[in-house]
Order: sequence, then structure tokens, then C-alpha cells
Amino acid sequence: MEEQPNTPFFNLGILDSLTQDSVNQIIESYNGFCNTTQSLLSGAGDLSVGADFVSHIHGLCKFGLESLVRDHFFYVLEETFERNGASRLWRHFDPYSYVAASNKNDDLDIDEAEIQSVLYTALEEISSEKQYQEKCLLMLVHAFQSYKDQVSGERHDLGERNYLTSKYQWIVSSVLMATLPRNFPVILHWYFKRRLEELSTIMDGEFQDDTSQNKDGMDLDEKGNVGKCNKASAMDVDESYNDNKFLENNRIVKSIGKVVLGLRNLGFTSMAEDAYASAIFLLLKAKVYSVADDDFRSSVLQSIQSWIQAVPLQFLHALLVYLGDTVSYKSTSSGIKSPLASQPSSSCPGIDTPSEGLVRWKLRLEYFAYETLQDLRIDKLFEIIVDYPESSPAIEDLKLCLEYTGQHSKLVESFISALRYRLLTAGASTNDILHQYVSTIKALRTIDPAGVFLEAVGEPIRDYLRGRRDTIKCIVTMLTDGTGGNSSASGNPGDSLLEELNRDEEIQEDAGVDDDFNTDDRQAWINATRWQPDPVEADPYKGSRNQRKVDILGMIVGIIGSKDQLVHEYRTMLAEKLLNKLDYDIDSEIRTLELLKIHFGESSLQKCEIMLNDLIGSKRINTNVKATISQSSQTSGENAISMDTISATIMSSNFWPPIQDEPLNLPEPVDQLLCDYAKRFSEIKTPRKLQWKKSLGTVKLELQFEDRVMQFTVAPVHASIIMQFQDQISWTSKNLAAAIGIPVDVLIRRINFWISKGIIAESPGADPCDHVYTILENLAETSKNGGSSGNTQELLGGDEEEERSVASVEDQLRKEMNVYEKFILGMLTNFGSMALDRIHNTLKMFCITDPTYDKSLQQLQSFLSGLVSEEKLELRDGMYILKR
Amino acid sequence: MAAINVQSVEAAQDNKTAPPKNVDSQSVLRRLQSELMALMMSGDPGVSAFPEEDNIFCWKGTIAGSKDTVFEGTEYKLSLSFPNDYPFKPPKVRFETTCFHPNVDMQGNICLDILQDKWSSAYDVRTILLSIQSLLGEPNISSPLNPQAAQLWSNQEEYRKMVENYKCPNA
Repeated sequence: MEEQPNTPFFNLGILDSLTQDSVNQIIESYNGFCNTTQSLLSGAGDLSVGADFVSHIHGLCKFGLESLVRDHFFYVLEETFERNGASRLWRHFDPYSYVAASNKNDDLDIDEAEIQSVLYTALEEISSEKQYQEKCLLMLVHAFQSYKDQVSGERHDLGERNYLTSKYQWIVSSVLMATLPRNFPVILHWYFKRRLEELSTIMDGEFQDDTSQNKDGMDLDEKGNVGKCNKASAMDVDESYNDNKFLENNRIVKSIGKVVLGLRNLGFTSMAEDAYASAIFLLLKAKVYSVADDDFRSSVLQSIQSWIQAVPLQFLHALLVYLGDTVSYKSTSSGIKSPLASQPSSSCPGIDTPSEGLVRWKLRLEYFAYETLQDLRIDKLFEIIVDYPESSPAIEDLKLCLEYTGQHSKLVESFISALRYRLLTAGASTNDILHQYVSTIKALRTIDPAGVFLEAVGEPIRDYLRGRRDTIKCIVTMLTDGTGGNSSASGNPGDSLLEELNRDEEIQEDAGVDDDFNTDDRQAWINATRWQPDPVEADPYKGSRNQRKVDILGMIVGIIGSKDQLVHEYRTMLAEKLLNKLDYDIDSEIRTLELLKIHFGESSLQKCEIMLNDLIGSKRINTNVKATISQSSQTSGENAISMDTISATIMSSNFWPPIQDEPLNLPEPVDQLLCDYAKRFSEIKTPRKLQWKKSLGTVKLELQFEDRVMQFTVAPVHASIIMQFQDQISWTSKNLAAAIGIPVDVLIRRINFWISKGIIAESPGADPCDHVYTILENLAETSKNGGSSGNTQELLGGDEEEERSVASVEDQLRKEMNVYEKFILGMLTNFGSMALDRIHNTLKMFCITDPTYDKSLQQLQSFLSGLVSEEKLELRDGMYILKR
Repeated sequence: MAAINVQSVEAAQDNKTAPPKNVDSQSVLRRLQSELMALMMSGDPGVSAFPEEDNIFCWKGTIAGSKDTVFEGTEYKLSLSFPNDYPFKPPKVRFETTCFHPNVDMQGNICLDILQDKWSSAYDVRTILLSIQSLLGEPNISSPLNPQAAQLWSNQEEYRKMVENYKCPNA
């Protein structure tokens, strides 16, 4: 017996010593073992062969064939399990094989109770089968055990047994996995989803109750928590009601737990967890979607969080308790800090100390909720920003989500593509784009005070706006007031920008920093091109990045490129506005100018200041002139017009933008009046002289007809025209033009105003190109002649009234281009032929004083093609040459 | 009529700054720059000049023969090269196209007093070009660089033929 080895490794040594007898004995034992094993495993609970089974094992063990016994037993066990257990288990689900093809998210058309009972029976069956087999396995273990007791008398530890059971467990799960039909996970998933939905509607109702209770001002912290999970505690509210609910909840949780346990038993731990986790996530997603919806006016994060607390976490808690996982009541959660930990309601209701598993779940769920909400909001960011500032709660939500998830780059990418698709198109008006840009800046300033990704998002907008011609005009309009030229803008961006000016002023007063945004902007630009999202941990209120303050005005000016251009445009618009003023009330302009001065510096706005001072000076001079002139001229007052009706705006022409002046003969009495005024002015302000710009200004006039009186506010040219009809009721266009001193085509354009008002009628004259204009004295004639077309024409006439008294920026540009034309002609005269880029470079090189050449190659090209079409140049093989 | 509001303009004086007289290269550059601008904006018919691509000290000029002279209908290319102490020294001016003229040699050198001893810093590119243009029509026969041309000058018809020969040598 001493040489009988315990381990199979020495078996070879004893082969020789085997006698025929012993071989026979082995064979006999083995056959017996095989038979008993077979009958034991396949037999339905027949343990009568147990004694034989044990003795055969002992017989085999005697020859050191333990491993043979073990292997064969497991082989048979596996085969039996596959035949009896697995295939039978899956057969239960055969009727549902069609679901394998369907989508996970589809609602399956299966009765819930039916599937539950199928699951139950299937799981019960397999677990009883398994229990039986485990019993058999234990017999084997005991056989080994008793043999060893006999042989050596020593006690063995439980290692052998544990090894065998775990091996059995492993066999079970691998067999099941190998034979797993495709529909099973789907069914499982569907089952959990249904159960959870059921549960959530119940819990939701409770959650609603809680909220309403909360609104009633009751002590929720105590009661809500208690009411849900701890029925032993005293409750103020309807106890039985909550009890019923609790029981109902418990029933569902138990039924789920039973399934989960059954699955775990089979080694499907992860599959079960996957199934209920994905069900929970689906539920959460649906919840987030339904709560978030398209309403940006309220914050939803809080309610989602409380829902997570109330429904899925409750369920998980119950489930974990049921499964017996919630064993650690010690403070395991201290290491993992929930982002909600600071909130009083965050401690899991009804649980003194949340278990680590639960805290993990909570973090997972919250992250998922944040991410879902964030994705939802990012998708709709464009709409949210359109609605800004009404949508600021949604922005706040998004900010919190992003702080948690750190997926800022997702926002930037998605938003930029939305911008490109929806905003930066030819159909969008520049005003709208600017408005959206300002809203974007403001909204993103909330999310990211450091303005890190504002740069990235703003870049495509800026690029696009640079390509638009009316950008500067719109910006200046927005800066000065919202109602100036283009009033089509939705909302009132003008106010917002003025408000920005104010805000900026405050900042500057506080900080006392003179920000040179030109260099600032350049730096920001460089940074924007190599933008990287801030790390999540980075505190946006610290570090170097908050040096870059978000300066809306600076960003807007950044679109234009230089403040000079902006100031230039502003000056033009200011001139226009001042010239159209009837009184000298310039308070709002002064205010705007002062704000602009703070931002752009005194020197660049000096001319504008002089313009405003001119207005102030005009008021004074005007009063002065009128006061001193009244005695002298009133004596000769054979005409009815008194000096009081006139008020002059006196401009220092050097500081105003170029004025468009058309020659115009004013009616004699008015002209006389202006002469007197100018004379008096030069007396007062020698050596200065007054030169009237007769075509500019505004005339208020009243027309008296036979049957009516009409009042108009018109340009001087219109007044002059209608004045001519005072003495003579009918004019030919040529004579009228001569009398007023304007070209005929201009006259025809201008007189349309009166025709559209139904005051003058046009009829063809003797000469086909010489029209006859007649004044219509009474309404009857008007309706007969021009009334019908009056309304439509008024629209046209109205448009024409948008005449500008100040040379527009485009006109000034044309003047600049005229200089370039001379240069281009000069260089082509001397060099013969030149290519586009050489012309460009040469202009850059030599055209550096007043006006400096600052055009792009594209601008030059279009200018040159203009010269080609004017037949000044010729383009041949890409070379420009002079046309002779 | 109720009220009239018309604008007026106050006259103001605009005094021009005198050209700088320093010799440093910045002021030379500025001077040439302003001369270029003046030349471009003046629009004198028949004379033109422009700096070469990258060097403002080297200009190419173009002169058209004045009307009612034998040079009518011709066009001459010039090169102007400015010294570093311009305008205290005159620029070197040469004809690039051969010019059959008593005061221009076959290498294109010009004999013109204002380009030598009579130079004054008051002259500029424009006046130089105009002087050369008028020199074409009124040569100084007494000190010729091209004696053949000087001799032929009296016979304007023959001279015209020579000029046209030079203009298109193949004809």
C-alpha cells in the first residue's frame, strides 16, 4: 500500500505490476462505474444505485484511477446536461424564435404574464435539473472522500469539493452559452423592460405624489424617504396606500429578482445584469426625452435627478437587497463622491448608507442621464440659441452636463455644422446672422466663461460675415440703434449691442484696464486655430485662460477686421442721421459716441465728435442769426416766408464724409432767404462763409387745394418741383427741369413721388420724349387719373426716397479705386503687359500713401475686369494690357 | 411751406506740407513715393513712368512724341535711376529705345542741361519727363551728341523718314 501513489503521475510505474486479475478487476469496476453513472445521471432522481456507484469508484481509486473517474463523470454529466437541461430549457423559448430577428427596441407582441410564467417554469426546471446533478456530483465527492478516509484516515479540506463544483458550474454555463438561442437575450431584455416600465409607472405616481407633497411644504426629507422603503417607520400620510404600493413594488422587484437569481444560478450573471441595465437605461433615456422635449424655458436637470433617485435607484436598491448584494452597510461610498452629494436630497431614500454597488449605479445612471440630456441639447443648440435669452435654463442645464461629461468638443463640432447648414446660407439676412452671433456669444459665455470654445464656434460665422458686403453697415446699425436703416431684424439686436457697450463700460470702470482688442483679437485668433477643449478638471475661473475675457464688441469688431473701417462706416451713418434731423436733439448720438469712445479711443472718433459739435454749434448760430436778422429782413417781407421757418445745420466740411451735392434751383423766395442767412452768418462769423448744400435737408410743406389740405415732409428737390406748380398748373418735363436746374432724367425720377401721391398727373406731350405734367386740383380728378395706381406707386416712390445725402462707403471705395486705376494704367504704360498678381504686388509696393492699397487679389481682379469691360484694358493670356 | 432745413458748408483752409529735405533714405523713399503719386494723378498726356517691380530707385518711363513735331506718333522707353541722395543729385536718364535725335547718342545717353549742371531739387520726375518730351521737338543743335541727326534736322521731311525708319526698322 505504501507504493500506491496518490497522484496519477506515477501511474506508469505500476503498470508493470498489474496482474491479469487486477486488470479484470479494473475493467469490471469501470464498466460498473459507467453503468451506474449513466443510470444515476439519466435516472429521474433514482439514487438507489448510489451504493454501487460508490463502491465502483472505490474499486477504481484503488488503482489510482481517480482522474479517469472524474473525467468520465464530467463527460457524462455534460452530455446529460446538454441533452436534458439545456435543450429542454431552450425548447421553452422556441415559440418565440421569431423575435430574434426583430429589433431590441421594438415592442414585442407577447403577453407579459405568459413570458413570465415561461421564464419561471424554464428557470425552475433547469435549476431542479441542476440541483439534481449537483447532488450526483456531491455523491462523487463523497465517494472520493470516503475512499481517502479509508486509505489514509486523514481529513481532506474542501478544496477538492470546491474545485469540482466550480468545474461543474463552468460546464453548465459553457453548455448553455454554446447552445444559447438568439432570441433568448431579446426576450430577456424585453421582459426586464416591461417589468421596469410597470414598476416605473407605479413609482412615478409615487414620485409625483412626493413632489406634490413637497409643494405642500411638508417635510419630504423624512416622509418621502420613509414612505417608499421603510414601512416600519411612522408615516404621516396614508399608510395603507403606500403599503399597497410598496407591496406591489415588492412583488415586481421580487419577480425580477427571481429571474435574475435564476439566471445567476446558471452563470448568466453578466447577461442578466446587461438586460436589466439596458432596460433601465432605455427607461432613463425615454424619461429624459420626455422631460427635456423641445421646451427650453425650464431647467429639467433637477427633475431628472430626482426621478433617478425616485425610480431606478429605488428599484436597484430593492433588487440588490433581494439578491443579497447589499451587505456592506459600512461607509464604503466615501471614496466615490456623487456629484449630487452636496444636495440634501441626494442620500438614497430609505437607506442609511448607500452601498457601494448602489453608488456605482447612481453614478452610472447620472452620467448616462447627463450625457443623454447633453446630446439632446447639443442637437437643438441652434434653436436654443435662437430663443436666447428665454432659453437660458436649457443653457444652464447644458453647462452642468458638460461640466460632468466634458464633451465640449462634441458641442463645438455639432454646433458648427448646424451653423453652416442653417445660418450661413445665402437666404439668411445679415442682421439675423449677427443677431444669432451675438446670442451665441452670450449663450456660450454662460457655458464657458473663459470663452475657450466660443472662439472655435465663432470662427465660421466671422469668416462668413466677412464675405458679406452689408456686414459693416449692419454692425454699425446694431451698435448705434436697432431701428436705423434695416429694421427687418427679428428681436432687437441693437439694444443688445448698446447694452454691451454699457456693460463694457462698467467692466472698464471696475478693472481700469484699457483693452487693446486689436492685438487681443489677433491673439485670440491664433488660439482659436489651435483650440483644444479645456480638461474637465480645469477650473474655468482660474488659470491663464480667463485672461481672455469674452468681449462681444471686440468679437463683433473682429469680424470687420479693423476698427478704422467700423469707425468710417459709423461716421457715414452718423452724418446721414444728423443731416436728416429736423431739430438739434442729439442726446442719444452723444451717448453712443461717448460709449464708442471708451471702446475705440478718443482719437479715432475725433471727426465724429466734431460732427456732433457742429450740430451743437449750429443750434447756437441758428438762434443767433435769426435773432439778429429779423429786424433787417422783415421790412422787405413781401413774401410770406419768415426766417423762423429755416434752421441750418452748419458742417465743418473737412471733418464730414464727402457730401453728395446735386445742383438745384430753389424757388426764388427760399433762395433769397438762404442768401440773407448766409450773409448774416458771414457777418457774425467772419472770415468764415456759408455755402449752402441746397439739395440736402428736409422740407415740411403744406399743400392747399380746392378741396383739401395735405402735409408732406420731403426733400428740397421735391419741394422745388411742387413749388413750380404754384404759379403754373402745367409744365413740360424739359421746361420744368430747366426751371429747377436738374437734368430731365432726374426730374422724371423725382416727380414720380408727386405722381404717386395723386397730386400731379403725367400725360404724353407733343414731343414723344417730352412729358406734360399737370397739377390735379381736386380729389375727383385725382381718383380719375392717378388714384388707381396711387397705392402701388407709393411703394415704389417710397423706395426711391431712400436717397442718401452722404456718399456711401461704396462710393468712397469707388473713389479709392479710381486712384488705383491711375496707378494700374501708369504701370501698364511703362511695362506693357502684366499679370494679375504682379499688378497686385506692385500696387502693394508703391501705392502706400493715401489711400493705402489694402484690397484682396479677388477685389483687384473684379476691379480689373470692370476696367476691361470699360474697354480701358484688355486681358490676353492672363496678362493685362492697355487698350489703344 | 412750413420749415426748411438746409445744410451749409464752412470753408476751411488746407495748407500743404513742404517736401522733406533730409538725405536719409526714408525721406528719399517718401519723396519718390509722393512724386509717383503726383505723376499718376496729374495725368499729363504722353509722359508716364513707374518704378520697377521691387526697386523704387529704378523707374521705367514712357514718352510719346509731341504733336506737330517730326516725332509725332512715336513712343520712347526710358530708364530712370535715382541716386541715394536724390533729389540733391539728378537721376540718370537713358533712352531704352534708340532715338534718332541730335542730343541723344546711339547708346541712349541724353545731353540735357537740367540732368547735368542745371539740376535743381525743385525738379521732379514729371518735369524731367516733360523736359525730355519738349527736347524732342526742340533740339539743341549747337552741341550735338548725334552730328548726323543735327545735320539732318534742317530737313524736316527727311528727318521724319529717319525717325520712322528707327521706329520700325524693318519698314
